[in-house]
Amino acid sequence: MEIRVKCNCGEGNCPEWAILELQGAVEAQPSFQGRLQNLQIGILCRPSSQEVYTFTVGYHELTGSKVSLKKPLLVLKKTKYSDPDHEIGESDFSSRVELEVIGVIRHRILFKTRPKAIISKPQPAVKERVGMPGSVVSNQTA
Amino acid sequence: MFIPYLAREREAEMEQPQLGCSGAEAILNLPPSSSISIAYHPLFGPHDDLILLELDEKLLPEVLQQRITLRGQPDEDAVLCTRSKTYAVKFVGTSNSVFLIPPSDQSEFCENSLDCIGKDYDQQVVASVIKSAPGNMELVEVAPRLDKLKLLLSVNPYRFGEDIEMEDLEETEKSYTGLYKWDDLVEQVQASDEELRSALKALSAVEIGGYWRIVDDKYMDTILSMLLHDSVLNDWSLDLLNEDEVVSMLESDGFPQKLARHCLHVYGTKVDENVDKRVWRLDERRVCVHFAREILKEGKRKMDTFMAKWMQKIPEGMRASFDMLEGEVLTERLGVETWVRAFSVSSLPFSPAERFSILFRERPKWEWKDLLPYIRDLKVPGLSSEGLLLKFTRRTQPTLDAEPVFSAR
Repeated sequence: MEIRVKCNCGEGNCPEWAILELQGAVEAQPSFQGRLQNLQIGILCRPSSQEVYTFTVGYHELTGSKVSLKKPLLVLKKTKYSDPDHEIGESDFSSRVELEVIGVIRHRILFKTRPKAIISKPQPAVKERVGMPGSVVSNQTA
Repeated sequence: MFIPYLAREREAEMEQPQLGCSGAEAILNLPPSSSISIAYHPLFGPHDDLILLELDEKLLPEVLQQRITLRGQPDEDAVLCTRSKTYAVKFVGTSNSVFLIPPSDQSEFCENSLDCIGKDYDQQVVASVIKSAPGNMELVEVAPRLDKLKLLLSVNPYRFGEDIEMEDLEETEKSYTGLYKWDDLVEQVQASDEELRSALKALSAVEIGGYWRIVDDKYMDTILSMLLHDSVLNDWSLDLLNEDEVVSMLESDGFPQKLARHCLHVYGTKVDENVDKRVWRLDERRVCVHFAREILKEGKRKMDTFMAKWMQKIPEGMRASFDMLEGEVLTERLGVETWVRAFSVSSLPFSPAERFSILFRERPKWEWKDLLPYIRDLKVPGLSSEGLLLKFTRRTQPTLDAEPVFSAR
């Protein structure tokens, strides 16, 4: 079976996607579980002309930087087509798989520091939970 | 309804970029002293159909020109092929949260700006996370999986009388008799195009009627013998064979043109590309090895008998020496006699693990000089021949001045 990897980006470059990467997991308040769409996660700031960034999620502030990836990442979209004309029971390839390159990632903003707590803020909808091995899950309230 | 988190104090310090909904480009080009809100995209979800693949920069042109394919049967691990190389595809997971943000004009995810979170923040720009990626795929260069090719083509080697039979077969009948066109081989064999072509050449396969075939030994022996017979009859020099003359004579002997040319390719080398005539020189080693194999077909022979027979069989003007048979025969001492038997590297698997397994089954211990001809052709990306030996063999040296001996691990 051969699946050709399609790419309609042309000779130029594919659209560039971005990655924000955090160590740990972001957790929404229980009332928002399963309805995350459109929910704000936090604010990304670039305080100076340097490639240094802060990401504020709930009452945590993370510090990170924009780094170039050693090797680019391709964003591929997999599409499965089922052939409606095939009878049931006929062998294999009644479904076809297609792969298409829809983007490329060359940079990510990586946050590696321990979150800094920002004091006296209203209860956020989304908070950052530090899930690193050996650490205690922070449970601070405003 | 959701409760927005507003870092109002921070906002006051920061500039706000333009209106509207935006994506990756807003993040990647975030100006100094500015901020951007990050939210879950209106279509945020698992999106299992979105896959990240790590790729070397130098392979990017291949991707843009759509020369990359995934090959493999449903029961095999997929490999990714460029025109000339094969890569295993592995998933590498991460425990980090990897938020994927598409560019704002990404058609599949572009929502009407009314749906954008921006509407509630007319001063604020928002970048949306479409998915949190669990990890990405990585490529590891591997040797092409060519043993399957040998297997497939050995099912139905081209033999005598077949050209006549083929004409009578229906198209549907043909597909059941193990015949493969180039496209069929691409479907079945996990190798890049170049590696596949290379392997076909190494197997002395020939394309007949659109199908790639290995020609059976008996047939090759007959056609070669006929060529040599014709050379004597017509006083041709084996170093200057005229392709057209040879082919036309073999045709009148009853061989298809394709096979006649194939015979020259297998046993000869082209001399100076002449525009008008194509000239071939028979390769002494290849011809002599052929006759040695023919003699040993029935089983092992005593060295003296073998050598005598061999000298008889080879064409006038050719010289055979035992070292030509490196990688083709094995010798053993039985009593006072030395015996020779056929053991050709070309009959062994391409895959190193299986190759060594068969080698050690044949002989538990090998000296380096005997082993080399049987492993010289093994190619594993990232492994030198020393590396290969380290991985698959155990090396012992009985005494300091004795030859090292290799055995199974």
